Formats: sequence, structure tokens, C-alpha cells
Amino acid sequence: MPLLLDFLSSMRRFVLNQNGDELRNWLLIESGVPEIYFQLGRELRTGYLNSDVLEKLVDKCLPEEDNVADGKGSPWPGFNSFIKEYLEYWRDVNFTDIVALHSRISALLISCANALANPTYGNMLLQASMSISESLSKLVMSLTRQPHLLARIQGDASGDEAGERKSIVELAADIIQKIFTSCLTDRSSNRWSQPKGKKVAVYLFANLTLKLLFACDKSRLAVQMFTNLSTSGPALSLYPASQRVTFLYYLGRFNFDHCHYLRAHLSFEEAYQQCPPRFQGHRRRILAYWLPSNLLLGRFPSRALLQRPEARGFAEIFLPICAAVRSGNFVAFHGALAQSRDWLWAKGLYLALLYRLKPLIWRSFTRKTFLLTWQGSENDASKKAASLSLHDLVTTASYVQKLLEGYVPAKPAPRARPPHINHIFMRAVTNSAAESESDSLLAPPPGGPRRLMPAEGLILGNKRPTLDNMEAVVAGLVYSGLLNGFMARQQKRFAVEGTKKYGGNAVAAGWPNPYSGIMDRYKEEYDDAVASYSSGEPVDPPGELDDVPGWVKNP
Amino acid sequence: MASAQSSSKNDGKAVTDSKQPEQPTEQKTVAALEEDDEFEDFPVDDWSAEDTEVANSGEGTQHLWEESWDDDDTSDDFSAQLKEELKKVESSKRR
Repeated sequence: MPLLLDFLSSMRRFVLNQNGDELRNWLLIESGVPEIYFQLGRELRTGYLNSDVLEKLVDKCLPEEDNVADGKGSPWPGFNSFIKEYLEYWRDVNFTDIVALHSRISALLISCANALANPTYGNMLLQASMSISESLSKLVMSLTRQPHLLARIQGDASGDEAGERKSIVELAADIIQKIFTSCLTDRSSNRWSQPKGKKVAVYLFANLTLKLLFACDKSRLAVQMFTNLSTSGPALSLYPASQRVTFLYYLGRFNFDHCHYLRAHLSFEEAYQQCPPRFQGHRRRILAYWLPSNLLLGRFPSRALLQRPEARGFAEIFLPICAAVRSGNFVAFHGALAQSRDWLWAKGLYLALLYRLKPLIWRSFTRKTFLLTWQGSENDASKKAASLSLHDLVTTASYVQKLLEGYVPAKPAPRARPPHINHIFMRAVTNSAAESESDSLLAPPPGGPRRLMPAEGLILGNKRPTLDNMEAVVAGLVYSGLLNGFMARQQKRFAVEGTKKYGGNAVAAGWPNPYSGIMDRYKEEYDDAVASYSSGEPVDPPGELDDVPGWVKNP
Repeated sequence: MASAQSSSKNDGKAVTDSKQPEQPTEQKTVAALEEDDEFEDFPVDDWSAEDTEVANSGEGTQHLWEESWDDDDTSDDFSAQLKEELKKVESSKRR
């Protein structure tokens, strides 16, 4: 058994010297390794099919040392179990059976995590556990894109009660998070001093877990990790720049996915600023989310930003969206989203923009309706309070809804009727239209209005905007800080407040700067949280307004 | 083993990629372990603050965003249509 004994004696040498790099270099598990590993596997199949015999050999070759000098190490029981598991892996591995390969690597990583947990010598397995974690997450990411194999693995997971079965992503993330926790709880250094021991790897494992969760669309599972970091994590600034930027990128993505666009913006801003321009690809990935985060906070990208090399192609995607938001044009908005649908969808941005930009478009749309209908001038502002009629808003909104449904001008220029439309059909269509249609400039399209998906309509699908709907929309805008005023319900009007403060400019008073309005609302929420905490309510201390949970800053 | 291991390591990929005659099915599995290219690992671990843009330009990120973007133009097509519609509905109410 020359190879096996040679392997074990090298392992012993590395452990005695606490040589984590060599342990990682030797403890390889992927298929593209030198032939010698397959040779080792054949040797193990010849003489060590019995695991008990193998275990005895491992213990014999890796005895615990009695007197260990400073700076030296000794094998420990967890390490020997891991090495036994590792040798079994090469004895039994079949790279063509992905299902078995997945469970083998998972078991191996669990065993490695257990060995790593040893407070005295576990450190030396950091590099190896990183490398095995990377292999497992690559395999899992690849499996989630192959449903037929995934079904075999998940069908294979026996022993769990129905409904409690975890996905393979969750299982892999659990194992890697176990290593993360080992690193987090290492007592070699405190939160605010230069990391030592296993603490040096906290953000490496955090980033690996995040990468896996995001690649598999399971970002919500990261909550626990961010909570643990907030509670006891070391300051991010103590770690190398590559780890900081990667972590902040995922923290931003997490907050974006959970609709906290201020926190997303803060994380992406820091990630972008700390990422040197020479890493254009990384900056581009950050910007792909930082830009929409700002859009959702009411800020548009400047020309200077869109001209940067990492923003190439972004102007074509985002400028039409910005133009639609700016002018309150819902038809142009849906057109702009449709134009870039594939890219936005692949990035996970489509639905966020479709649903969350609507308040900003409503803001512009109500503003436009006000500009078109308000008869007062700056001079008589004191005599008559500026206001927007909700009836007018119903009129303009109904017009837009009809455009979305494909309505056409009621008196189009004479043109030949398409051959498939006969006069009986035309009469049927005309009769089915509501009576009020005749009061509009628009008429139903030949073949009837388009059937809209719920999110494609102004209110919900083909539902026509009513007075109640408009009242709800305006009230929502006031509540979100996008409109400044109150609802005069008797008059069915939205009354603008603070016109005098704006020198008689009712538009500026009623429709404040969106970014400031949204920021003011965040500030109010924060002040409320501070007030609750100060009055002794049992709530968590609110920290600072620009705190992002999971992002540990030096106190 | 140690010498065999280190020499093959130094040879890099040539050894691992080509010389596996008794593993004919391996090509398939390599694909399964391929790296996803989402947010790639950085080629270097650390860099100094001087390498970043803030340090070089001395500017923050304020100039990257436009906060004021209101559109007061009511002469565009869309506004004109809305205005016409408001007129038409208003006049039909008076009838």
C-alpha cells in the first residue's frame, strides 16, 4: 500500500507543522485531479473495502501527540474521522453518478466542519474546508439548473417528514453556514481588533454562502446569517477589500430583493466606491442593481454615470424607463419595460420595476393632470387654495387605461376596413361598449379591448379607474411623502398645502422633490423608532438612519 | 506520492485535462462542477484605498445621480391628448 501510507504520513507531517495550505493542496475532491488520486482510489478498493480496517489504519498512522511544542500541531479525533471519510470518498467515488457524488461531498464537508470546530487545531483546516465548500456549492448550483437530476436527489432524501424536507441548496448552505458559525464564534480575537484564528475567514464563508443562495434564488435564507453578523460579527473594515466589496454587493442584492431600496443603495454605493475602476466587470454588476435602487428612490442616473465604460448599454435600457417616469406616461413605461424585458428579467429587476416604480409614475401623472387643469395663478394663490379635482384625474386615468387596452382615436381618418371585419361584427362591438365611451376621444379597437394582465392595467387589469380608486391612489402618494397636501373628501379634491412657502408655486408645493420626499419618510420612520425606544418600549435600539443590518461598522 | 503530487501540480492543467484514459465519462461531470460566473472572485485579495475612485478624484458619488427631474412641459403629444380628453369629457357633462 505505498500510496496510502505515503499519503497518511504526509498528512501527519502537515498536521504537525499546522500547514493548512498543504492540507488544502492535497485534499482535492474534484474530478480534474492528477491520476494519482484515482490510483489511490484503486488501492483503497483493493485493500480497504472494510471501513473499520481503514479507520484502524488511519488512527495508527495519525496518533495523537502527547507533548506538542508551541506552534506545532497534533492529529485529533475529528481530523482522523475526516481523513477516513476522505479516503472512503476516493475509494467509492463515481463522477458519473451525480446524485451519489452530491451526498458524498455533503457528508465529507460535514465531517470537515466537525474537525474544523476543534478549538485548538481546527484552524489548519480552514483552507481545505473553503475548497470543499466551493466544490459543493458549484455542484449544487449546477444541479439546480438540471431539474431531472434535482428530482432524483430530492426524491432520494429519505427519513425527513413530509413538508419538512429541505432543498439541496438549503442543505448545502446549512453546512457552509456551520463553518461560518465556527469562524464567527472563534475567540482568538474580538469584534473590533485584527482578526485572528478562524475569525479571518468569517466573510469568506459568508460570501460563499451568499453566492450559493443568490445563484439558486434563495436569498431569503441569508436572514439568519445577517442577524448573526449584526449581533456578534467582526467589523467589515478589518477584512481585505475583495471580501468587503463582494459582501456589500450581496448585502445590497438582499436588501433590493426585500424592497429596502435605501439600504440597497447604501450597500451598493460603498461596494462601488471601494471597487477600483480596473475591475470593470465587477463594477458593472454592482451598477446593474445600484442604478435601479436609485431609480426606486426617485433619483435618475446622470449622463456622466451612463457614459462610464461599466455602464455600456445601460442608457438604452434605463433612459426610456426614466423618461416614462418623468412624464407620467404609463403606456411608454410598459413599452420601455417590454423592450428590455429579457435582460431585466434575467437580472431579477423586472417585477421590482414593474410594481415599485408605479407610485413615481402616478406622482408625475397626477402632477401633469394638475398642470393641465389648475386654473389658479401664482398671484391669486392666497384667494383660492390650489387643488386637483379627482374627477379630472378619473378622466385622464381612464384615457390612459383605454390606451393601455389598445383603444384607437374615435374618428380615425377613413381607411379600408380589414377584410376579416364585417359590419355585423362592428355593430356588435359598438353595442357592447359602455355608453360613456361616446364621450371620449377614444373608441374600442376592432376586435375589442386588449385583455390586460393584472399588473398591466392602471388599477387591476381591465378595471376602469373610479373616483374611489383615484382617492386611494392620491392618499397613498400623500402617505409615501410623494404628494404634499390633504384630501378634501366632500369636494372630491386633493388640496395642496404649503403653496405660500414655495412662493406661490403650487406645483412645487404639492409635488415635492421625490428623492427628498422618500428620504423624509425614511427619516420619520427612523425618528418614530428612536422615540419608541427612548420611551422604554421593548423594541431593538434603532442604531443610525444609515445602518444596514448585517454590515458591521467600527463603533 | 509527495513528489508525484507536486510535480503534477506544477504542470498545471495539461496533466489534469488530457491524461485520464481510464475515465472516459469524465467530460460529462466536469460540466456539472463548472463555475457559475455571477459575481466572480476578484483576481487579487486586497488593494489599498488609493486604488479607488474616491481617493483619486476626491469626489463622492453625488454627481452620478439627478434628483431634480420634473417635467413641466405640457406641449408634448401625450399632454395634448390628455387636455383634449379633459375638454371633451367636460363638454359632454354640460350637455
